[in-house]
Amino acid sequence: MKSNIILLRTMLKSTSLVNIYRYTTDKKKKKKVVAGFIGIIILYAMLMGYSLSMCIGYGKLGIIDATPVMCAFIISAMSFLFTFFKTNGYLFNFKEYDMLMSLPFEARTVAGCKFAYMYIKSLGWYISISLAMLIGYGYYKRPSVLVYPVWIVMSLFIPVIPMLLASLVGFIIAKISAGFRKTNLIQTIFSFVFVIFCFSLRYIIDAVVKSDKVDDILKTVSVATDSAAQVYLPAAWFSGAVTKLVLSDMLQLVGFSILLFSCVFYVVGKSYRQINSALKSHVASKDYKMTAQKKHSVLNAIAFKEFKRMTGSTIYMTNGCMGEVLAVILGVVTLVVGFDKIVKVVTQGAPFDASIIQPAIPFVVYFMIGMVSTTAFTPSLEGKNYWIMQSLPLENKTIYQGKMLFNMYLTVPFMSFGILCLSISAKVPVVNTIFYLVLGVALCAFSTTWGCVCGVKHMRLDWENEVEVIKQGAAVAIYMFPNMFVVMGLVVLVVFLGMKIDHKLLTIIMTFIAAGLSSLCYLRVMALAKKRS
Amino acid sequence: MLEIKNYSKSYAEGKKAADDVTLTVESGDIYGFIGHNGAGKSTTIRAVVGVLDFTEGEIYIDGHSVKDEPLECKKITAYIPDNPDLYENLTGIQYLNFVADVFDISAKDREERIKKYADTFEITDSLGDLISSYSHGMKQKVAIISALIHNPKLLVLDEPFVGLDPKATFTLKEIMHEMCKQGTAIFFSTHVLDVAEKLCNKVAIIKKGKIIASGTMEELTVGQSLEEAFLEVANEE
Repeated sequence: MKSNIILLRTMLKSTSLVNIYRYTTDKKKKKKVVAGFIGIIILYAMLMGYSLSMCIGYGKLGIIDATPVMCAFIISAMSFLFTFFKTNGYLFNFKEYDMLMSLPFEARTVAGCKFAYMYIKSLGWYISISLAMLIGYGYYKRPSVLVYPVWIVMSLFIPVIPMLLASLVGFIIAKISAGFRKTNLIQTIFSFVFVIFCFSLRYIIDAVVKSDKVDDILKTVSVATDSAAQVYLPAAWFSGAVTKLVLSDMLQLVGFSILLFSCVFYVVGKSYRQINSALKSHVASKDYKMTAQKKHSVLNAIAFKEFKRMTGSTIYMTNGCMGEVLAVILGVVTLVVGFDKIVKVVTQGAPFDASIIQPAIPFVVYFMIGMVSTTAFTPSLEGKNYWIMQSLPLENKTIYQGKMLFNMYLTVPFMSFGILCLSISAKVPVVNTIFYLVLGVALCAFSTTWGCVCGVKHMRLDWENEVEVIKQGAAVAIYMFPNMFVVMGLVVLVVFLGMKIDHKLLTIIMTFIAAGLSSLCYLRVMALAKKRS
Repeated sequence: MLEIKNYSKSYAEGKKAADDVTLTVESGDIYGFIGHNGAGKSTTIRAVVGVLDFTEGEIYIDGHSVKDEPLECKKITAYIPDNPDLYENLTGIQYLNFVADVFDISAKDREERIKKYADTFEITDSLGDLISSYSHGMKQKVAIISALIHNPKLLVLDEPFVGLDPKATFTLKEIMHEMCKQGTAIFFSTHVLDVAEKLCNKVAIIKKGKIIASGTMEELTVGQSLEEAFLEVANEE
């Protein structure tokens, strides 16, 4: 236990903003730490605002009783996905593996502490949601005073089980991949398959139990959440613990979390060294034959370097390309199933003319493609290799242009594919489809340039683990949250305006807005490049 | 103190990074492990210190199996990698205290040893700064101090002189001699054959994962320098 505490304390200290602020002599770094701290507080506040407004909606609709289960579900889903994407990089294949494993720690101690570290570092997000929902629940429900401390304490345990399950899945994928020659590639493919399976789970369940009157069950949110809680027991335990103060529910949530932790890390500890050895060892093939070489432009050379950086990292691939993979799947599924049927599934069969959604097609695809922009983290990803680009006879603006070019290469084909599939399936006229494609390119440009603004402005090179910049860097968060909220708003706005004005005109207006914003962001990137040189 | 018996390491590609490596390092030995880039030195060293998993062969440290009793082995071993990845956002002293905590060193002893080695390497003034602000050589010095802090019975070093300034290189060599006199076994890899020749009493040459020559320095360098002996053996194979 003592070694666990020593290790966990050191891991936390080694990434603590307070430690950096206290000991750095670099004034710029101090300012960055403060700005990063303020940024995180703003993001927490945004998340709290979003959760609170959801609760207010429940209160107004008279379904406030569904809040605890919904709270448990949101936190569980978030923690599961976030952890799954972080297992490779935090739990396995991390930078300081050699240093830690050469010290007298058991493998399961290192793995367990890495998990505890992940848990503590992400707790702020989950507590923000939970506290905001508690405020909303408390306001409308006026529960007993005891509910408040019980809710807060039980909230600490909600993410544990999904995080452990995500770690276990990550472990199984890593264990299987470790036996293959192309370990990283296999791990990336398995990760994609698993996440796609998770995203489609709701529809699979829907299809499988259609005969069990799922449509009826889904008529109200409160009934739906209750029935879902019967499937996912931790949500039911949390709900029972905070609404009826049932002691057995509290004990079950806490006890099962501890039991699962022990079991998962007993299993993980057994193969920990073997998996990490496979992930960190690469043998040179030594059979290269010199062939004809090609000359590339500087921008293409930088873009190609970015491509190789991406394919060499499972974390990069799974985070950077998830939107593209989802866009392809959406496109293919829509072509096979039909646009109308997909709209019916999404709108739960509400009486709806699917054609009014047509102008939103580019935004729907962008919702996936624009989830992550590689430009938001590639400047930071240079890390210790920063010197390579800086020592070459290149201007900063050229480096950023190369990074932006790569993101365009990555996003535009998938964006176009998604739009084409949806447009064909929705029987959109050819001229409108062309306009949608142009808008799609403009949205990709916006995602690329806005990502680059965030990436350059909040560049962080002194990371310990690439997850820190790819998954949870300030630049990525600042890019992602406003982008997602704005897109959701735009989808609603476009559908609304589509009923009033011509679709082509609406798309042209949107294209001009996206192009204008992209130009502004591009100019900002160039200004930042000049400032940094 | 260190016994490597028929150790092999294969990758998924089927290639062998280490092939039937067998050698013994006694207490008081300074054992040099030399070979070309990619010969299998680091792969062997990482297996010795319990970082790299292996299935073929056995490695014993002071009679304990690295496979079956890794913790017992690590308690008496210190490892200095070629490119130490330390916690960059800790200060030097915070990092050294972390390692001292892990090895359960008393406050008095750690204070004494940190001061002694930090003064020797002339890094005391910088111990309060973040490691991220250190140069490669300074990081290497912190890694060396952290390895010496618990008086290990076996010291394993992977290219320890890379990045060190001449004075620090000299100091490290002196420390290695001193430890050797006290009975510590030292096993280290290097490219610098001059250093190996002056420092080591035993040497092993590894090529394509296989030990192609090993023995005392005298046995390997009969009437010639280690460099000549190395090139001769390496070219023969």
